[in-house]
Amino acid sequence: MLIGFSLFVALIFLGLFFWAVRDGQYDDAHTPAMRILFDNKETDSKETDTSKRTDD
Amino acid sequence: MQTTEILIHKETTCYHCGEACLEEIVKLDEKTFCCTGCKLVYEILSENELNTYYCLEDQPGISLKKNRHRGGFDFLDDPAVVEQIADFMQGETVHVSLSIPNIHCTSCVWLLENLYKLDSGIKNSRVNFLKRELSISYNRKETSLRSIAELLSSIGYEPELRLEKLDQKSGLFPNRRLWLKLGVAGFAFGNIMLFSFPEYLSGSTLDSQGAYHIFFGILNIALALPVLFYSSSDYLKSAWAAIKQGGINLDVPISIGILALFLRSVYEIVSGTGAGYMDSFTGLIFFLLIGRIVQNKTYERLSFDRDYKSYLPISITVVDSGGSTKTVSIDKLKEGDRMLVRNQELIPADSLLLSEKAFVDYSFITGESDPVEIQKGDRIYAGGKIMGTSAEMSIIKEVSGSYITKLWNDAAFDPAQKKNITTLADRISPHFTLAVIGISVTSGFLWLPYGSDMAISVFTAVLIIACPCALALSSPFTLGSALNIFSRNGLYIKSTDVVENLAKAGSVVFDKTGTLTQADSAEVTFRGNLLSASDASLIKSVCRQSTHPLSQKIADHLDSYPKVPVRLFDEILNKGIKSETAGRQVVIGSPEFVKGFLKNGSIKKVKYKRSVSQVDVAVDGEWLGWFEITGKYRSGIRELLNYLKTRFSIFLISGDNDTQKEHLATFFDEDSLRFQQTPQEKLEFIKNLQKQNDGRVVMIGDGLNDAGALQQSDFGIALTENISSFTPACDAILDSSSLNRLDTFINFARKSINIIKYSFGLSLAYNVIGLSFAVAGKLTPLVAAIIMPVSSISIMIFTTTATWLTAKRMGMNQWK
Amino acid sequence: METELLHQPEKKEAVGKDTFYYDNKIVRQFGIATVFWGIIGFLVGLTIAIKLIYPGFLGMIPELSYGRLRPLHTNAVVFAFAGNAIFYGIYYSLPRLCKTPMWSHLLSKINFWGWQAIILSAVITLPLGFTTSKEYAELEWPIDIAITVIWVVFGVNMLMTIWKRREKHMYVAIWFYIATFVTVAVLHIVNSVEIPATFLKSYPVYAGVQDALVQWWYGHNAVAFFLTTPFLGIMYYFIPKAANRPIFSYRLSIVHFWSLIFIYIWAGPHHLLYTALPGWTQALGTVFSLMLIAPSWGGMLNGLLTLRGAWDKVREDPALKFLVVGITAYGMATFEGPMLSIGNVNAVAHYSDYIIGHVHLGALLWNGGLTFAMLYYITPRIYKTKLYSMKLANAHFWFATMGAIFYVIPMYWGGITQSLMWKEFTADGLLQYPNFLETVEQIIPMYALRAIGGTLFITGAGFAVYNLYKTAKSGNLVEQEKDQAQPLVASTNGAKEKWHRRLESRPLQLTALTLVVISIGGIIEYVPTALVDSNVPTISSVKPYTPLEVEGRDIYIAEGCVGCHSQMIRPFRSETERYGEYSKAGEFVYDHPFLWGSKRTGPDLHRLGGKYSDSWHLRHMHDPTSTSPGSIMPAYPWLLTQDMDQSSIGSRIKALRRVGVPYREGYEDEALADLQAQSEEITKDLHDSGFEQLDGIEISSEKKIIAIIAYMQRLGIDIKGNNDPFENLPSSQALVNDENE
Repeated sequence: MLIGFSLFVALIFLGLFFWAVRDGQYDDAHTPAMRILFDNKETDSKETDTSKRTDD
Repeated sequence: MQTTEILIHKETTCYHCGEACLEEIVKLDEKTFCCTGCKLVYEILSENELNTYYCLEDQPGISLKKNRHRGGFDFLDDPAVVEQIADFMQGETVHVSLSIPNIHCTSCVWLLENLYKLDSGIKNSRVNFLKRELSISYNRKETSLRSIAELLSSIGYEPELRLEKLDQKSGLFPNRRLWLKLGVAGFAFGNIMLFSFPEYLSGSTLDSQGAYHIFFGILNIALALPVLFYSSSDYLKSAWAAIKQGGINLDVPISIGILALFLRSVYEIVSGTGAGYMDSFTGLIFFLLIGRIVQNKTYERLSFDRDYKSYLPISITVVDSGGSTKTVSIDKLKEGDRMLVRNQELIPADSLLLSEKAFVDYSFITGESDPVEIQKGDRIYAGGKIMGTSAEMSIIKEVSGSYITKLWNDAAFDPAQKKNITTLADRISPHFTLAVIGISVTSGFLWLPYGSDMAISVFTAVLIIACPCALALSSPFTLGSALNIFSRNGLYIKSTDVVENLAKAGSVVFDKTGTLTQADSAEVTFRGNLLSASDASLIKSVCRQSTHPLSQKIADHLDSYPKVPVRLFDEILNKGIKSETAGRQVVIGSPEFVKGFLKNGSIKKVKYKRSVSQVDVAVDGEWLGWFEITGKYRSGIRELLNYLKTRFSIFLISGDNDTQKEHLATFFDEDSLRFQQTPQEKLEFIKNLQKQNDGRVVMIGDGLNDAGALQQSDFGIALTENISSFTPACDAILDSSSLNRLDTFINFARKSINIIKYSFGLSLAYNVIGLSFAVAGKLTPLVAAIIMPVSSISIMIFTTTATWLTAKRMGMNQWK
Repeated sequence: METELLHQPEKKEAVGKDTFYYDNKIVRQFGIATVFWGIIGFLVGLTIAIKLIYPGFLGMIPELSYGRLRPLHTNAVVFAFAGNAIFYGIYYSLPRLCKTPMWSHLLSKINFWGWQAIILSAVITLPLGFTTSKEYAELEWPIDIAITVIWVVFGVNMLMTIWKRREKHMYVAIWFYIATFVTVAVLHIVNSVEIPATFLKSYPVYAGVQDALVQWWYGHNAVAFFLTTPFLGIMYYFIPKAANRPIFSYRLSIVHFWSLIFIYIWAGPHHLLYTALPGWTQALGTVFSLMLIAPSWGGMLNGLLTLRGAWDKVREDPALKFLVVGITAYGMATFEGPMLSIGNVNAVAHYSDYIIGHVHLGALLWNGGLTFAMLYYITPRIYKTKLYSMKLANAHFWFATMGAIFYVIPMYWGGITQSLMWKEFTADGLLQYPNFLETVEQIIPMYALRAIGGTLFITGAGFAVYNLYKTAKSGNLVEQEKDQAQPLVASTNGAKEKWHRRLESRPLQLTALTLVVISIGGIIEYVPTALVDSNVPTISSVKPYTPLEVEGRDIYIAEGCVGCHSQMIRPFRSETERYGEYSKAGEFVYDHPFLWGSKRTGPDLHRLGGKYSDSWHLRHMHDPTSTSPGSIMPAYPWLLTQDMDQSSIGSRIKALRRVGVPYREGYEDEALADLQAQSEEITKDLHDSGFEQLDGIEISSEKKIIAIIAYMQRLGIDIKGNNDPFENLPSSQALVNDENE
């Protein structure tokens, strides 16, 4: 019965694997690694969300 | 004081593209730029708060100084063209993917993905770094493809629009399906191995496992079914196709093995006599699929096959009857249209010259560098490049009918007759299959007297063990890793099965211009009495004015002298240049031309060296001397040719005139030199060379004129200065810097073929061991489960390490 | 305090880009919770470490006894410290990866306050002795349900954020987060299937061997999917961010993810090598653990090689220092794990303190290291200020690393020496150290070193608290970090929408559908196993426990004796010599929950029945040093003073019957009478042998000590088959098919 559950979880991940490949998650295997580096530096330039911040 | 000025020049680098500011420094909010182009880009970016571009990577830009022709994009207004370029259109949104060679770092990716800040019409822009491709979806109402293209080129990322792009779209991703198949096979392989464990370990206490046995058996079959029908479908289909045609390729024995394995296991599980070999079955397919993925690894960034359309520019300016000009995409050109072709632009179709005279550089076609002068009414062939003043001409032949395209309709290009590369493995497989069937049948008979089920089990066991999975894995893995190593040394090969041709090379054919000789730099030496600094700067400023290649080379040679303003300048082509500069009369040109202007008419007669083009110089009637310009040979060419001469028969075919003849004679023997070869003749030369001797023909060329020869040869190598620039159709692209290591490449290819042979031997050894088990009837699932994966994995490891070691021994770097 | 801005929906600006706000308030809350619970967890850890050296430390208060504090330490560190750290990392990185704020602020708040409430309930119930004794799942059934609810709240919040993402590609870290959610949900539910007897007492459905398998299948995968995959996700996000370099090879990280997910699930059984588990499951566990090296090391290399060319950054940035050491420790731990699962290595290491070393190598440096790295990376950013003092952070780094080394090396050393001493034979085949106590005394100095290591680690953590506090003070929290991105354009590439294509573009429906399909598959598998009688051969002479023994067993569980004592004798000559016949699978058929235990600070108790007299047990429980001098076992004087819980015995017998123990229908009414009869008999024997009172405490039949003695004497005697426990009990027929009555 433990086998049942492990297989159950394994099949979930097979389903996710299929969705992933179909949805084109793996077509470009290099650019995403760079994309996460682009957090928006804008915040430390002039205009940030000042309403919360008390301007020191 | 002046020298310090130069000094400063040297350190300041351009904030945008990082290149040293030579000519002038442009200043903007205390940042230095090397040209107005870079400054312009900086302005655009900082206006739209895109200055993170400069902090992700330092000086990420591309210098805008050098982009010569700013091709107009107005042809993109024509909706039909947009229709063709776009991937697909849906209501207002248009999806298009543009290839942009200038992408090279994180900032480029960042900037191109924030395009919506520059042009609000753009809905979404994503970069595929490896393919150097930008896919944009924009709203047709708010912006147009043309404005996007212009925006991109204004910030230094000019999209490369090729004619061929017009008609075929980049295919969907073929290997997606392969990954899915691999996923299924992997999943099943793991699970089945898991469920077959009870059989392996507690083989003896079968009864207590009885209840479980059936349960696990059913589970195994349930998991194996998708693998059979989905994952291994490629092999079964190709085997079926091969059998239908009567031939036997490698997939046939593999499919036999697969089917035998599957049927035997189902039989055993159902009858409860054994555990079946499901795990070796799924494992086998898992490894085969890995082999296939490694096999069709290609370089996304480089495209190897081109046809003639991809050389010609995509648009040309047409003058209609009213004298107004508009740019039209060339496949719209009709006979009789009047074209205006500007300096450095390619002529797309055969036409008749309308303006007085024009200078056309046919180096693209014939490889010969000196421009040809054409009079009004003469015929101009497509592919030529206009030099100097722009010329008007009327088309006499459709783009597809012109002279250059005839070259492509030659037999070498039609894909149907694609060189059928019979790989080593395919040649062996017919004998292999027959041998296997023979053994299985005989061993079956041998066991018949002991009882029929034993005979059947032995029969199937032999089929199972003899399946050539190791055989099928050895070539993809060896060649796959060889491909990797080649690419790290500057040679990018199209696909794995072409490597065999390189290995079997018998003769090597070289093209001269651009291949043996360095394309742009030439050896310039001045003969005659010493040039004073003022004379040198005079000559340099004058030469800078003329577009003639020789004068350009002289100007580059004297580049370090300061420029002097030139007042009167008159160029009589193929003769020379006469000009008034800084109050002194300067005459540069061929010896006869300069003689006419000399006061005392005396030119020291000097033996005219055949292989050198000579340019005489006279100032204020005084003859100073002459420049000798010889094509500079690439470094290491001498050793390469000497070495190759010993191992292969080497030839040289060049479109150029035979000025360099004796110089080359030292390397090539007399009859293997061919000059003034038109592309067609080059093609013929390769053809009959192939007929003559047995070895494969390797052709190395760079220009358009070699395209035909490259295609016809068994292994065509296109030489290029930098990889992302444009190369003719070929089997491999070689970086010019590693041309002199061609011999190591050929040896390495040969060695990797030997490695494949060794691994064949190894896999046959496995089969023999397996067969001995099978024939003796002792093939328990445990034994099969061990042999099958072990043989595949060991082949994988053996081949990859062997290739690495040979590469290390031959001094090629393995690690990028 | 909530300004309307917090819930302000994303503005759809005309210019085609949305501006939205990341909620950093929740991130800060989780950060503070992580640090707060971290310190508490470490302190509890230190106290029990010291208690192992001086059992008298902190006096003999039941709530602070070693048995009850150990589960508190494990739960506090795993679920409170690491749990909050995971939420901290995910709530910071997920919105930034998907370019959308967390889906619902309400759910985030519920998730936060709910999780803290659960921790609080654990802090209360565990010291009071309410525990299920299943490692890493000790919390009683009401709290289990609460955990499931909160975990689902977290999952929904996360999946909806992913569903509403603006960045089409899901970065590998997101995959790790999804895997964590899905698997931990399944694991938790499967392992907490227990029938509630009373409000705070329940019995798991499975028994003996199956319970062990399920528990360790959960145990290992809890470590796998609660302490590794989320932290790998965090690693894949924070390393590139801190080093400002793309990951070494993105393709490798994808392969790493899928292979790790698949293999981890099957590696559960390697915790039970050489136990009564059927042979093939053990071999299975070993093989799959060995295969585990590949993905784990793939991940490690991918992380470390990202720093190629950025090593100078590692010198100054403490966050990167922690990351590097953390990943290396991950590599060491995941190499050590498979080694431990190889048969003969396990024979030596299992039950010894070596395992504790292995656990803490991973915990202190990998989980701890990464959490501190996150704290040092995120705090300055959300407070818009620089880290208060680099020097202090580096000091913390060195303290933490030294602390970990001082912890792990002594435990390795001690574990191996002790385990070898257990196994040593003299020339003529007798045990070199027959008395278990000698092996314990040998490694007490190691425990001392370990305590020093723990103190170092805590002082380092103290630096961190001070440093982070000052950093927070120097800047002020940007509640709403502004960000802009374009809405995700539905990129159907115009191909005719076949029904299957359309289904794929809706991940939620697809996952739901796969779940349905799979559950059918699951049921098919489950049914045959249930029908087939358990593959455990039953021994006829093994009988269920009498009510008094059930009470004794529950007290054994409540006091957390399983923390130091194992009940599983392995088939090694050294153990059969020392303890007696090795344990058979059949003996545990009625053990709900199984009490095999995972470490032997104290000797194995499975064959304790009849080994010592009742009075020995009485004196030993009251003051262990009186019967075995030098013992580090804490004293349990309150067993002699506190009364048994006789009222709930009926409902407990009913619950046990429901989980499969063959008590006769209606026996629960007579159970109390049986219990009192048996306890009277034991008290009478004690009084006859002159023990009316001990040190002034009157021995009477309703005290807990009697139940404990009954349980102690019953352990492992069924195998001899000569006595029937229900023989002289008033109840006519206790068991269903009791032939010999």
